[in-house]
Amino acid sequence: MTLGITRRRSLVLAGGLLAAPFVLRHARAQDGPIRLGSLTPNTGGGSPFGPEIAQAHRLVVDLVNASGGVDGREIVLTQENSETNPEVAVRAARKLIDADRVIAILGTWSSSVTLGIMPLCQDANVLQFSTSSSESVPLGDRKRLVFNFQPLNPAWGRALARLAIARGFDKIAVMGINNDFTTSMIGTFQGSLEAGGGELVNEPFLYNPNQPSYRAEVERLLSGNPPAVFIPSYVTDFTAVYREIYRAGYEGQVITISLSTGPQFKEAIGEAANGILHGFPVPPLGGDTYEAYLRFVGTEPTGQVQNPFGCAAYDQINSLLLAIKSAGTLEPAALSEAMFAIANPPGTRATTYAEGAELLAAGQDINYDGASSAVDFLDNGMLKSRDFELYEIRDGKDVSIERITSES
Amino acid sequence: MSAYLVAILTSAGFYVVLALALNLQWGLTGMLNFGVAGFYGLGAYTSALSTELLGLPFVLGFLFAVVVGAAAGLAVAALSARLVGDFLAIATLGFAEIVRFVALNEDWLTRGPRGFPIETRPLPDGLDRNLAAIAYLGLVAALVLVAFAIVERLRTAPFGRVLRAIRDDDVVPATLGKNVFAFRLKAFAIGAALIAAAGSLYAHWVQSISPDHFTTALAIGVWMSLIVGGTGNNRGIVLGATMVMVLLEGSRFLTGIVPGLDAERLSALRIVLIGVVIVAMIRFRPQGLLPEPTIRLEPGGVVTQANQESPR
Repeated sequence: MTLGITRRRSLVLAGGLLAAPFVLRHARAQDGPIRLGSLTPNTGGGSPFGPEIAQAHRLVVDLVNASGGVDGREIVLTQENSETNPEVAVRAARKLIDADRVIAILGTWSSSVTLGIMPLCQDANVLQFSTSSSESVPLGDRKRLVFNFQPLNPAWGRALARLAIARGFDKIAVMGINNDFTTSMIGTFQGSLEAGGGELVNEPFLYNPNQPSYRAEVERLLSGNPPAVFIPSYVTDFTAVYREIYRAGYEGQVITISLSTGPQFKEAIGEAANGILHGFPVPPLGGDTYEAYLRFVGTEPTGQVQNPFGCAAYDQINSLLLAIKSAGTLEPAALSEAMFAIANPPGTRATTYAEGAELLAAGQDINYDGASSAVDFLDNGMLKSRDFELYEIRDGKDVSIERITSES
Repeated sequence: MSAYLVAILTSAGFYVVLALALNLQWGLTGMLNFGVAGFYGLGAYTSALSTELLGLPFVLGFLFAVVVGAAAGLAVAALSARLVGDFLAIATLGFAEIVRFVALNEDWLTRGPRGFPIETRPLPDGLDRNLAAIAYLGLVAALVLVAFAIVERLRTAPFGRVLRAIRDDDVVPATLGKNVFAFRLKAFAIGAALIAAAGSLYAHWVQSISPDHFTTALAIGVWMSLIVGGTGNNRGIVLGATMVMVLLEGSRFLTGIVPGLDAERLSALRIVLIGVVIVAMIRFRPQGLLPEPTIRLEPGGVVTQANQESPR
């Protein structure tokens, strides 16, 4: 008999490991508190934004708990990492729903994760608050449980086409990264461009990310030397794509979305980045709600966009808590109704949970006005409108050129 | 809580089937398959497309998935099985990427990156949420049992002896008149069919699949199950896959118990943990928790299987 790992010992060990967390957790479970889940992309493709989303959720919950919770009920927030991967996210969502018994899952970012956990959430009557732009998001929501704090792709395409035309670019070649986010954006970009008197040159096409070289794609994009190109993409691939464009000696205008031109991009490209036009949905810069949010999470407002998704997460948690307060129950259908009631006009303006709760307690209707947008929803739970801003990179900095409000 | 346990056991069930299939291919036959995610995705999409687009019942979708999985396994192996070791590994990795890119780019068929919703479920209508979850676990458990029976039977049969001989030195069985190529094809195709079967059940369980579900990260989890459990030992594989799932899922509960550990830190730590476990296993117990039973030919020609550790 050796003192090694025998089969029996391994089984006992495995069984113990399997049971321990559940036993420990079970002892802590009790009725009473409001249980919420936060499922954020802390690693993987969404990792630049996951932490700010998670932080906003946590800080608001801490603040509300410190002042007595919602009607005296404590809020228990369980945070999980989706790893920006639907396979992992489904398991995390199962844990949030079945083990932590949450009534809502907030903060999903990529559309594949939001859509991936949707069947599960619908089945379990769990509310979903996301910042995902896929047009498919409202389609899977049969029970009116999904609220989206980001405009859908078509709104992006329309806004950017309008901004391009306003700058005098009416002949544009288009290629985009092949993901859910850009595919439908390109269609509406084309439609709005044509409606504005412009046209696409060349056939728009998609490219696959994570390629060692984008030379073939860039050559195809630049064939016929179009006066402007529009390239919706993410920062990692856009850096490589833009290098190819620069190397090709292209002198026309490059237009993209601001998610591609973050600090990482400017650092990698340096001076060659000057002159790029980019746009995306922005929080109300200079507005009281956005600046209050930034100070709340310990960031000084600089006039530039910071925490583009954290501000939406701040709105998610504030509006949900207000809906709970307003509904006076945790019943999902009632909460969904209450969301429309507290977020949409009419009502007195409220910008935080504390403000809104006071007004609600006084019997008034409220209209939540958020840090990311006015937070008004269409009937399908999608955001009604959001500000879009067009920037030009000058001396390595984003300089604002124009701002419009785009309806979904 | 129990509903969660049911969900995790279901997840673990998929891993167990994948790991058993991989054990047949790699553990017994020595065929490196880094394309587990590809066959898994192929099974999932085949089944989903048959039920949703063609309106077939789940049973037919499942059968199609198995058939297509086996055919793809045959094709990949036939194209590359004459090449040994690393070449097959690259070919399978390439196959997994092909599956993912076809799913990503053939938007008209798979809805590409938007994900493919699946309404058909292999369960009677009208079950409530908890009952449905338990019933589904039953289905997955049935698949695990069937897969285990198949691979364990193959392992102990003369067929398995040939596979092990091929793994250890393919010249020997060839010299003894065995058709090494045919054996390799069969082993690989059976494994691929099992993986595709798991993919089919998985698709109808999550009810929404996208190319992101079938990445190499998943294959790594399956490989880890083999390393931890014990390559070549089917019981070890079941244990290994379950432990990997416990490690992946159980560690979620550390937040709230260990002070100062939030979801963000924990998720990074979990990946570190997986690395540490793999390194530690390879360093201290390369044969896995339950090593492969050694087969001895005793005097008089009696074959016995001993579960003792093989001398290293």
